[in-house]
Amino acid sequence: MTIQFACDDKQTLIAYLYGEIDPAARRAVDDHLALCSACAAEAAALGGVRSELGLWMPPHAELDFAIVKKSELPPSNVLRPARWWNAAPVWAQAAAAVLVLAAGAAIANLQVKSGPDGFSVSTGWIQERTLGAPAQGADAGSEVEGWRPALAAMEQQLRSEIRSTRDQAAPASGRGSADDAIMRRVQQLITEAEKRHSQELAARLIDFTRDVNMQRRADLMNISRGMVSYEEQLQRQRQMINNVYRVSATPQQ
Amino acid sequence: MVATDEELVARSMQGDADSFNQLVLRWERPIYALAYRVIGRDEDARDVAQETFLRAFRALPGFKGQAKFSSWLYRIALNLCRDWIRRKKRTPVVDMPEGVDVIELAAEQGPVESIEDLVARQEMSAIVAEGMKLLPDEQRTAIVLKEYHGLTFQEIADLQGCPLSTVKTRLYQGLSVLRRHLESQGMTTYEG
Repeated sequence: MTIQFACDDKQTLIAYLYGEIDPAARRAVDDHLALCSACAAEAAALGGVRSELGLWMPPHAELDFAIVKKSELPPSNVLRPARWWNAAPVWAQAAAAVLVLAAGAAIANLQVKSGPDGFSVSTGWIQERTLGAPAQGADAGSEVEGWRPALAAMEQQLRSEIRSTRDQAAPASGRGSADDAIMRRVQQLITEAEKRHSQELAARLIDFTRDVNMQRRADLMNISRGMVSYEEQLQRQRQMINNVYRVSATPQQ
Repeated sequence: MVATDEELVARSMQGDADSFNQLVLRWERPIYALAYRVIGRDEDARDVAQETFLRAFRALPGFKGQAKFSSWLYRIALNLCRDWIRRKKRTPVVDMPEGVDVIELAAEQGPVESIEDLVARQEMSAIVAEGMKLLPDEQRTAIVLKEYHGLTFQEIADLQGCPLSTVKTRLYQGLSVLRRHLESQGMTTYEG
């Protein structure tokens, strides 16, 4: 069976243009195009469009996409909202904990006593009574008065310790070492960026030099071409002047 | 010996991120080029390309291998392009990228091509890009997939979810619009 190609069969024409056509249909299109100038012109024009499409190129983009596991990311790359307690150094947090404990013990009236019966621990504001011993209200009152200055002294001491260790402890603390690590990472990034920039700059300079050389070569060729034509023109003018001289020097009859 | 896409996919599915990164390296440029030609903006095309690989990585366990890995990637990328066009509710812009100048192109092309030729080529490229802007999304996508990615009619039909004959019609209509545009801009379209 012979396959016939009709002028309005655009789907077969497209299949023919892109080469996705069986041999028999291709032969039919070839035969038709040899006879039909309109279809031949259209096929040539569409083929020309395909050639022109090759001119449209996307820009050169630095992509370098990569899937990176979260655990492989350096900690400095992960930004987290700051928590208020992260701002305080470790030693200050420890001191605060001691203060809280001390205050709690004071409020609870914690008392540790050692006696012939061993250690005895008591809390609360009711005075411990030893069996058989009379209550000593006045002594109890003086004890209560006695721990207040002691607590105040302890608070003062803690405050002064905090103040004195603040300057010394800060650089050596864990936070200080974390800051150092971040600084080292930043330094490393800066160095890498500088290196990359200098490489790019070098590449640009090489390209630029090549362009300038190309342009210079083209200019020199143009100039030499211009000089040649100028010399030719000069030569023609000389010949013309010589001819004029020759004609003028010839005696007229 | 270079591993095939299928081998790299199999290794990636077993948790080998390096194998997936090899696939990314292999396909990032074609996917970016596809996105750039469909949506026409460099930055957005990068975003689409990056998102394509992220989605592919997340969806990898569900990839059964009925289609080629590249076809699967193209499908994800085209869906993202479609979303982008719908979200922006505007015609894709296919202008020449910013910052491209003749000197840069000259450096890339080497000493063979003259500056004048490069200028002419850049102008022609801009005219082609303008012509592509005139096409409806489906026709432009069909032409991009056929001309620049060499997909078969059947592959394009699968990606666009339409019959094979529709793909051919889209290609014919798109090329005809481009032909008229190029001729109106003084570019001859006859081969030879």
